[in-house]
Amino acid sequence: MNQRNNLIFSVRPPSGVQTLKMVKPNKLAMQNRRDFLNLLCRGTILTGLAATTGVLAFRSVKGGNCDLGTSCNNCKKSDSCDLPEAALFRQTVWQLDPTKCIQCGRCAENCVMSPSAVKVTHVYAMCGYCDLCGGYLKPDTKNISTAAENQLCPTSAIKRKFVEDPFYQYTIDEPLCIGCAKCVKGCGAFGNGSLQLQVRHDRCVNCNECSIARNCPADAFKRVPANKPYLLQGIEAKAEEKNKV
Amino acid sequence: MKQKIIIISALVLLLVLITFMVKDFFFNNPGNTNPYQFELDNIRKGDSAKAVFAETQQIKTTMEEIHGIATDSSGKIYVSGKDSVVIFDTKGKSVNKFRIEGTAQCIAVSENGKIYLGIQDHIEIWNNRGEQLAKWASFGTDAVLTSIAVKDENIFIADAGQKVVYHCHIKGYLLGKIGLKDPATGVPGFIIPSPYFDLGISKGGNLWVVNPGRHSFEKYKFDGTLLSSWGKASMAMEGFCGCCNPSNFAFINDSLFVTSEKAIERVKIYGADGTFLCIVATPDQFEAGTKGLDLAVDKQNRILVLDPMKKMIRIFEPKK
Repeated sequence: MNQRNNLIFSVRPPSGVQTLKMVKPNKLAMQNRRDFLNLLCRGTILTGLAATTGVLAFRSVKGGNCDLGTSCNNCKKSDSCDLPEAALFRQTVWQLDPTKCIQCGRCAENCVMSPSAVKVTHVYAMCGYCDLCGGYLKPDTKNISTAAENQLCPTSAIKRKFVEDPFYQYTIDEPLCIGCAKCVKGCGAFGNGSLQLQVRHDRCVNCNECSIARNCPADAFKRVPANKPYLLQGIEAKAEEKNKV
Repeated sequence: MKQKIIIISALVLLLVLITFMVKDFFFNNPGNTNPYQFELDNIRKGDSAKAVFAETQQIKTTMEEIHGIATDSSGKIYVSGKDSVVIFDTKGKSVNKFRIEGTAQCIAVSENGKIYLGIQDHIEIWNNRGEQLAKWASFGTDAVLTSIAVKDENIFIADAGQKVVYHCHIKGYLLGKIGLKDPATGVPGFIIPSPYFDLGISKGGNLWVVNPGRHSFEKYKFDGTLLSSWGKASMAMEGFCGCCNPSNFAFINDSLFVTSEKAIERVKIYGADGTFLCIVATPDQFEAGTKGLDLAVDKQNRILVLDPMKKMIRIFEPKK
């Protein structure tokens, strides 16, 4: 390229040929491609610097309430913060309110996920560790045992383990749970309601229009903040919630 | 002619279609029921025809909350609750009402007519004219007093909060604690998941205490020695259901047990050895979710059931 340019400017007209007066070329017109790229890079860097300075200036003026100044960690002020990162924390997800749930069993059938993204959650702090567990055993069971015919859960998703006389621990095998709420109803009726249904956010795809919410007869589904995605009820439910987040 | 046939056929088809749509919209298809729905109504239905007792009288109370019921030797009925105690005669007429501070969860009447009230963490003693005779010190901040029984100079107090029975002298000093877990003497310890923990003294002079988490009755000497126990955990009629039952009991005919349960609201009678004898009231006679059906038996052997949901005393007598 340079050679060619040089050639252009080094060609001399043959003798006797009247030459036109050379006009000094415009600086920009004379710019070669390397210069152009250099200019472009500098321009990009300058624009980037200007944008960064602008954002920082915006934060210092509008986002004066941010604790860290650089990255949002969902601090106490995030609910009122104007920064775009804080807005992410204000996104909502679907959740089931256990106080409204009537354990109709529709969560098992209406979710777009299979099995349902609604699972039973055990609030251990509330559990009575009962031998005759209304959430584990069928009401008409003759013997208290782990035999399949005695279990209320249609998929045997609740595991019973002896702790000490007369206490038994009940754990949920979540992949097996289909969210039918039979155990929730049994526990609520015969125990203290430590089994509660919740939308599990490691499975929920957070549909815009939740299929279960549309079919819920108790209107128990609602949008909750993504940073507080569980609505467990009862004693020390907050501790359970903290573990899940 | 051909056109007529087409029109008639089209009309018939339209009618069939409309019929199908009406059926689909307005009539439930049993095939569409939710397979995962868990029906508890069948359990609660009960069969009142199987009950050998019939409800003969209801006495309405005007109290905001009612919790405890007791009778005295003359047949008067005492009901304790929030801020007050009401006394009824045998016919159900209110004869006196007096105010108290707080909610009396349990009540007992001694042979000399003194009224013992368990108010959260302490005991108060009143007479039937509404005069406070004594107020005992608190049994502790965790105390939840749920039952009282008085026999001569002994008073037994069930504390659901601290899972123990206090044996006190009627003058107010502690004689001993009963029911603390002790493998050496075979005392299993009380398991009380919810605040329903009842006790009573049989005519034989033994203390009977419900161990609700074990669905059993435990018989103790006054010194705390465990003598025997009976009970069976079962949703079936002959057992005690749920996490923790029976919630309340009383003695009838000196040695038979009248028991009440929550979760499946029912009142039954058991023999002295724990044999299931008969049904007094079935779940369909109570509102779903009724808890704390306190019991008393009057001198005519009528069973008095305190229904805190309906805020009334319900009297059951043997069917004729």
